[in-house]
Amino acid sequence: MDAPADFRELALKYTDSLYNYARILTRSETEAEDLLQETLLRAYRGRSSLDPELNPKAWLLKIMKHSHIDRCRRKLARPIEAELPEEATDSSLPLNPEEILLRRLAIEDVRNAIRRLPSVWREAVELRDIEGLSYQEIAHVIDKPIGTVMSRLYRGRNLLRSFLQGHHAIEPRRARDL
Amino acid sequence: MTCNLVRARLFEYLDGELPGEQRPAVDDHLRTCLECQHALELEQAFREIYMVPLRPDQTPDAVRGRVAHLVVGLTESRRARWARRFRRRPIVSAAVAALVLAVSASTLVLTSARREASASLLRLADASVEQHQKLARGLLPFDIARMSPREAEQWFGNKLDFNVRLPELKDENLTFLGGRISHLRDIDVAALEYRVDEKNVTLFIMPAEQYRKLGLLSEPKFKMVNRQGYDVIVWSAHGAAYALVSEIGGRSCAVCHSAEEKLDVTLTPQAHGAR
Repeated sequence: MDAPADFRELALKYTDSLYNYARILTRSETEAEDLLQETLLRAYRGRSSLDPELNPKAWLLKIMKHSHIDRCRRKLARPIEAELPEEATDSSLPLNPEEILLRRLAIEDVRNAIRRLPSVWREAVELRDIEGLSYQEIAHVIDKPIGTVMSRLYRGRNLLRSFLQGHHAIEPRRARDL
Repeated sequence: MTCNLVRARLFEYLDGELPGEQRPAVDDHLRTCLECQHALELEQAFREIYMVPLRPDQTPDAVRGRVAHLVVGLTESRRARWARRFRRRPIVSAAVAALVLAVSASTLVLTSARREASASLLRLADASVEQHQKLARGLLPFDIARMSPREAEQWFGNKLDFNVRLPELKDENLTFLGGRISHLRDIDVAALEYRVDEKNVTLFIMPAEQYRKLGLLSEPKFKMVNRQGYDVIVWSAHGAAYALVSEIGGRSCAVCHSAEEKLDVTLTPQAHGAR
């Protein structure tokens, strides 16, 4: 993609998704806007690397993720990567959400529950259930095989349901844990 | 396929990520197993109630404006260079600015209105494509199925406060799969899912007022845009507004037109006189 007009269209088309993901990553509207602008700058400079076979949204989100990691490093506050086993599948069945539906939770409770997830599982859930990426696109963003994406998504969704069922208290983590 | 196996695959099934060869086996099981059907419906409801509202909101206008400014600055470097040169020569700059202002002032209001109309159309098209994808992947259950167009009209008539008129099924390759009340940009609309040549086509019917709010020119009647590889045709008729989403070009016209009608099925912008 070399034409400036193409880049302009791409950037404006995905502004909502990018800004939303930036808010998820930074938890701050001001920092989210900075991260969004930095992402677009990097994307424009690296636009020749965009694979035409790839969803441009996944490409932009990956640039945003790396920009965020770099910003955190610059602030000497590296994002915490939980060390979790990476099994391809989980032998347990998905938790039945009936009880959660009956609880009539507020959306803010769901947001808080997602924030409580270990970071690598949370990332998979956010990219799939909020950003709507395919497994293949998530694999591209997080640089992991599809099996890992499926495992993280499965475990993340099940733990999220467990939080929402009230088996764990739903409270936001402290800022340093986010 | 056993219940446990189906439940273990439920996430992938609803995500549209189950390998093609496994999907028919899950479909077969779901047709006969009430418990697994129930599990599927609960999962769909969970996503609809708790996850869909987390999808991206519209970016605040102020942020969007700054992003647009940045992107324009990045991509229009030649224009920026010219601007810098003029800043160094204030008299020339003032004269040129006056000339540009005089020429552009008369067109500014019109251009701005058209740009906003175009942006509104794109927002509607994007929302329609998103809903179409969910319907085609089976993520949104139908409220009605196996009904004639007239029965469906009556059903929607009792639920929606605008005129819902469904097209007749004029083409034998066209199948009406089902319909539901969906939400397009916070408006209740009738969403009708059809199958044409083994592809899903969605027709959204919404209040005519929504079409007027787009602020589009009256001609051409059919406005067409391509978003994410899907053709979206938007028009107004019979006191309602319509948006037709497909990935099969002109063959989607079968939803409204019979095979006997001589249509240009290449679905170029000219096919419907769109600009």
